[in-house]
Amino acid sequence: MSNLWSMLLSPEFFFSIFRISAPILFATLGAIVVEKAGFANIGLEGLMMFSALSGSLVSYYAGHWFPGLCAAVVTGVVMSLVMGFFAFHLKTDIILVGIAINMMGSGGTLFLCKVITDITEGTAMASTTGLITRSLCIPNIKIPLIDSIPFIGRVLSGHSLLTYFAFVCVILTSIMLYRTSLGLNIRAVGENPDAASSVGVSVIRIRYTAMAFSGLMSGFGGAFMSMSYAQGWSLDMVAGRGFIALAAQAMGAGECLGGMLASLVFGFAQALGIRFSAIGLDSNLASPIPYAVTIIGLVIFAVSRKRKAAKPRVQAT
Amino acid sequence: MTKKREITFSIVRGLLAIAIALIVATILIFISSDGATFGEKISATGAALKQFLIGPLFRIGKNGLQFEPKRLTDVLAGMIPITFTGLGVCIMFSANQFNLGVEGGIMLGAFVSALAAIYMPLPTILHAVVAVLLGGAAVGVMMLLPALLKVKLGVSEMVCSLMLNYIVMYIIKYLMNTRLADKSKGQIQSYPFKETALIAPIADTTVFTSSKLTWGFVIALLAVVSCGLFMYRTHWGYTIRMIGINQDFSLYSGMKVGAVIVLAQVIGGFLSGMGGGIEMLGRYNTFSWSSLPGYGWTGMTVAILAGNNPWFVPFATFFIAYLNKGCDMMATYANVPAQLIDIVQAVVFLFFAAEQFLSKYRQSLVVKTAKEELAAQEGGTAHV
Repeated sequence: MSNLWSMLLSPEFFFSIFRISAPILFATLGAIVVEKAGFANIGLEGLMMFSALSGSLVSYYAGHWFPGLCAAVVTGVVMSLVMGFFAFHLKTDIILVGIAINMMGSGGTLFLCKVITDITEGTAMASTTGLITRSLCIPNIKIPLIDSIPFIGRVLSGHSLLTYFAFVCVILTSIMLYRTSLGLNIRAVGENPDAASSVGVSVIRIRYTAMAFSGLMSGFGGAFMSMSYAQGWSLDMVAGRGFIALAAQAMGAGECLGGMLASLVFGFAQALGIRFSAIGLDSNLASPIPYAVTIIGLVIFAVSRKRKAAKPRVQAT
Repeated sequence: MTKKREITFSIVRGLLAIAIALIVATILIFISSDGATFGEKISATGAALKQFLIGPLFRIGKNGLQFEPKRLTDVLAGMIPITFTGLGVCIMFSANQFNLGVEGGIMLGAFVSALAAIYMPLPTILHAVVAVLLGGAAVGVMMLLPALLKVKLGVSEMVCSLMLNYIVMYIIKYLMNTRLADKSKGQIQSYPFKETALIAPIADTTVFTSSKLTWGFVIALLAVVSCGLFMYRTHWGYTIRMIGINQDFSLYSGMKVGAVIVLAQVIGGFLSGMGGGIEMLGRYNTFSWSSLPGYGWTGMTVAILAGNNPWFVPFATFFIAYLNKGCDMMATYANVPAQLIDIVQAVVFLFFAAEQFLSKYRQSLVVKTAKEELAAQEGGTAHV
């Protein structure tokens, strides 16, 4: 037991929380912006799978991580725009579009991986883990001053570039939503599309923008999964993080800061699961912890919202 | 628009969606086909497509096509699990409940049925019936969680059911690894099912037994009939569909919306659990699934193709099972990865679900009908 405590209080444990939270955080920010625009993108999972695959492949061909990251982001954005086309132009229920993308994201990415590696490498590979080396991954960064602080340095320094970027994105997204005209338009379209369109906002363009933003974030999330969290893409590697992000969005009450805290809670739950399996608990018993925490979190959030709504409002005047 | 035109429109629209999916498939097959020159690639693509489209029924040999009964029974057997998940999804989606828990549901149903098949001493037939019903009941209970949370607290049933899928999968894996595994075997699998619990093939010929075309197929068709009658001939079914069309209207006209939303999800869960049990006891003799089988997602495609109408489910499942077999054939004979099915399925799914797909054509049909009616009216008045 003391073994467990020392493990849980170690800087490595806190470090892993941030590392695990990063991809969830990216997807959560995408979910938040889309939700503000008035719909739900449940295809984040599939988008991340495609981005993860294209990122790892391009970084291998280019021999550098940066083109890979760009490819992942472009993949995410393009696919989210295709989703937008089906949802907004062909009036497909956005949830069904998401399901279709997730369907493709599972077997379809494996198909593409096999076909592409068959053409370029001569053998059909079921994953790209053999192609990606440490040097092709997104670099880890030591922050000069913080690195030398005893405990905190080992928690906060040495993360992947994208992990820092994820937390920067929380601020950027928040500014975008509340300090720019684009953010105002997104929120207006989400609140009342008719009112927004009556003052000259192009509702469809705003919806596409929100969709593309979620694609962008999934692109970063996917790149992180295959080029930092793991070395290379493998089947179903996103493992429900896109779905967890939807829950994090709901638990964070649709706000960036709340979403970040919720992502950290899931990161914590998953890190805990990993530690538990390290001390001999069956990993299959530890793995469902983040998913169970999600349901519990949603329930707590719903109960508190209900309580708030039930309280009689006191008039100020 | 006249009913005849409505049907014509649906058929044209469906065929076009399938055609688009096939074009996408052809392009992907072309990219993945072997061959040094363009001509070689084209002929390789042609050969692969042939396997894909007619391979599920015919053997393509040197002396022409030869009907292969084994392949047909394979396709029919492949319909069994996805008919159940398809029906389950139809009922849940009809009530506008995007419960995606059928995927975990079919695994849980299979697992519970397997346990009943291993550990319960019961006579033949009764054993299988009890095992399958227990599997269904277990998933029905599982679906209570997202359903009740939705009705009581407004928690998204979609996110909750997705999370449940993973929880169910890991807990089953945990139980298999630790307590239930047959330690004498190299891979992780349960002890064998009792003979009494196995679901028998419909006929005792090699074709039926090797394809595992069991009585489960007949039960699946019976399930289609009962779901069709339930949805279109009962008060409950009507309420479910009404809630899907307009929940507020249903509430204000005095329907028990909460109870029916729960009911729809429990029935959907029960069906998928039964499907898991029937698949497990018909096809295997030990439990060895270590991940979600994917029948739940396929069930969603089935429901979309069938327009959430249980009567159309058998056609949709036949179509999907046929495509699936085609992809298997292609993987075997033409070196195209079998996962192509996921892309084809998703494309068909997208175009079937697209409401505005071909809307201009539809509009022109509506206008044509209106003009004809107008002309008929004017003609009528002219006579008077």
